[in-house]
Amino acid sequence: MSDRRNNPVVRWFYDLFRVWKREIWFSFHDEGVIIFFLVLCLVYPVLYALIYNPETAHDVAVVVVDEDRSSDSRQFARALDATPEVCVVQYASSIEEARRALNDKQCYGIIRFAGGYGRTIHRGEQAHVEVYCDMGLMFRYKQILIAVTNVQQAFNSQLLHQRLSVVPVNISPGTINNEQVALGNTSMGLASAILPAIFILVLQQSMLLGICMLHGGSRERRLHNQGVDPLEIPAGVAASILGKSLCYWMIYIIPTVYTLVIAPKFFDFPQVGDLRSILVLALPFLLASSFMGQAMKIFVNDRESTFIALVFTSVIFVFLSGISWPRCSMSPLWLIVGNFIPSTWAVNAYVQMQSGGATLEQQSTAYFMLWVLTGVMFVLAYVVERFICRRRYRRMRHYAKRDPLALIREEYRRQAIDILPERINQADFGVPAGLTEAPSDD
Amino acid sequence: MSIMRLFFNESIKRGLVQLVRRQLYWLVMIVAPILCAIFLLELMKAGTIHRVPVGIVDLDNSMVSRRIERNLMGMQQVDIVDHYTDYRAALDAVQRGDIYGFILIPDRLEHKALSGQEPVVSYYVNYAYFPPASIQYKGFKTITMLANGAIAKTTLDATGLLTDRGVMTLLQPILTQVHSLNNPWLNYSYYLNMSFIPCLLALFIMLTTTFSIGTELKYGTCREWIDSAGRSIEFVLFGKLTPHTFIFTCTGWMIQFLMYRVYGLPLNCNPWHMILAMPLFVLANQGFALTMMCIAPNFRYGTTLCTLLGMLSFSFCGFSLPAEAMYPWVHALGCVVPIKYYFLLSIDQALNGIPFYYSRLYYVALIAFIAAPWPLLWRLKRECINPVYVP
Repeated sequence: MSDRRNNPVVRWFYDLFRVWKREIWFSFHDEGVIIFFLVLCLVYPVLYALIYNPETAHDVAVVVVDEDRSSDSRQFARALDATPEVCVVQYASSIEEARRALNDKQCYGIIRFAGGYGRTIHRGEQAHVEVYCDMGLMFRYKQILIAVTNVQQAFNSQLLHQRLSVVPVNISPGTINNEQVALGNTSMGLASAILPAIFILVLQQSMLLGICMLHGGSRERRLHNQGVDPLEIPAGVAASILGKSLCYWMIYIIPTVYTLVIAPKFFDFPQVGDLRSILVLALPFLLASSFMGQAMKIFVNDRESTFIALVFTSVIFVFLSGISWPRCSMSPLWLIVGNFIPSTWAVNAYVQMQSGGATLEQQSTAYFMLWVLTGVMFVLAYVVERFICRRRYRRMRHYAKRDPLALIREEYRRQAIDILPERINQADFGVPAGLTEAPSDD
Repeated sequence: MSIMRLFFNESIKRGLVQLVRRQLYWLVMIVAPILCAIFLLELMKAGTIHRVPVGIVDLDNSMVSRRIERNLMGMQQVDIVDHYTDYRAALDAVQRGDIYGFILIPDRLEHKALSGQEPVVSYYVNYAYFPPASIQYKGFKTITMLANGAIAKTTLDATGLLTDRGVMTLLQPILTQVHSLNNPWLNYSYYLNMSFIPCLLALFIMLTTTFSIGTELKYGTCREWIDSAGRSIEFVLFGKLTPHTFIFTCTGWMIQFLMYRVYGLPLNCNPWHMILAMPLFVLANQGFALTMMCIAPNFRYGTTLCTLLGMLSFSFCGFSLPAEAMYPWVHALGCVVPIKYYFLLSIDQALNGIPFYYSRLYYVALIAFIAAPWPLLWRLKRECINPVYVP
């Protein structure tokens, strides 16, 4: 056995295996990391789905200002009230009164019929309905617009037939009907459009956070042990990175299946994608994310700075993926930045597959780019580990050799305590109780 | 009195020294919020989505169908990037992501339309991408309506019974004039950045506050911290958080300057309303984070609570789906974070420019967030004197 372990190739694989094994042990002995890796992936999809589940807004409140008081204006207002989108909450005597209701948030739109509205119609002229919308939320504006347009069209076609019936000759103007067919998200709801993207983002972000938290824990152990992490497996840079990635990738099999395949079933989101294709897509995506996490750990110094340094990136990544502001309208700079984020490709491919029924072959560009990103991120992680992190560790060991308390003193100095208190000992800060002793190896 | 002043000076000094000695603070208090704001503003600088790539399947190839296509090409909303021979080819392009939708003109359209057989022009829109889908819908709908009107007009003109204007009023007896108040261009950036940029800033404020208190608990320096001001939790918090308030307020003003001056978001009120609301907003978020730290006086739990609420407030505060349309418990949850009130306030003041009176409650709510942690500070004090680090 020992002969074989001296063989560098065998040794390398053996190291990789030991790193993988230790990382799994870490992941399941650290409450914070379990929360990120498993609980977050379990809870967030449900939480987001519940928030957006109503999909659309019904009965947006509007006020009617009827200065005409004819049967025509009343008919229009009643028809508007009957639409699912809009609800007439009040009739105001003047535009000022309606304006006050708008300011008071009793309504979000004003419908006004000017005096002479009914008379204009019956004279065969064009009558006008004025609509004023509060623009605080686009969604309310959209609902009011849909309702008004539909009612207007219904009245117009009714009036057209009435007017044509009095014309002595038989004319039927040729018509072209139009029909909208929703592809992908057939319910045309907000939730079904946004959530598939969020699902992918949850996977990527939770992984980044977990990886950075593990790194923060390791650095904290170094502070107490003269720059050495006693629990870390000494291994080469590549073996260490690959071993860890393999571990995260394995842990993420369950959250991935849950988030991408099972969670959409709870809320009836579009799910026409082929299960196998989705899992094949997730393979490079998760690997790229795990390497990305190992590259981003340079921003994190202790377990909790993970939150402050990384959480906000979720919002940026959502926008870069183009689910809100489409990629066709982005400037080249943001397109390029977005291309470097695994979630961008994964979101678009997953949405097309799960909502639009695309095959993996149709999304081959995204799939290919995810593998390219896996390579790029690996190189990045390698550079970070080898030239930044390991150098930092060497420096830490160097300082600790001169003064065993140097590292702790530096940490205290940052907390604005320049003279170390007497009671400092190694157990009382930073390291979780469960993570101070190594498991028996081999 | 002098001992009070000593405590006061000591705590402020400590607060400042900590800020200077950790680079992370500068990153998350100044650099990251401003960069995020610039990112969002720059991303949506165009205001509206236009020239969405779409395709066309023309099975008719008649004069009418080509006119529809030409009109479509002249529209700002959509851009015809390719012609497809049939439905399958166009659908394939949608699934590949080359186009966001397509319009299908059926066989013998002109013939059927003029002979009164009512042909159907259908448009297929990929609603998996919501904003471009709405834009396409608008473009396609307008074009088909116009085509319809053109055909009807041709028929009616041929009768010679009506004048040109008469035909138009006959076809459209009622016309709705929709006025989108204070955002006539339907600028997406006005609407989205008004909520998302302050929400990001709120996230940074809350996390920085919990982080700065949490590190004291974590590194066991909290006893020295609270002793430095004679065991007065009020003094130490004041010393620690006032520099944050100052820096975040300046960052907030910088962001407001970017939003309202550089990128021209609407500011229809007296600018002082928004300028003065910023320190209130910063303090309210600090108050909220402090309340969370008092409820769960533990670094990770406090931070997790703030992160969870901070991230979810993008969704449950009703920035996209109206709050009244959500489940009541989601609506209620949206009311416990300060950003909601700042958002409503900025709509009232900056966008709509209505009298201060209508926004009074939002100011009160922001002030209430500042007052909220006071009754709970004893919990944090107890934790500082007897710290227990739970990882």
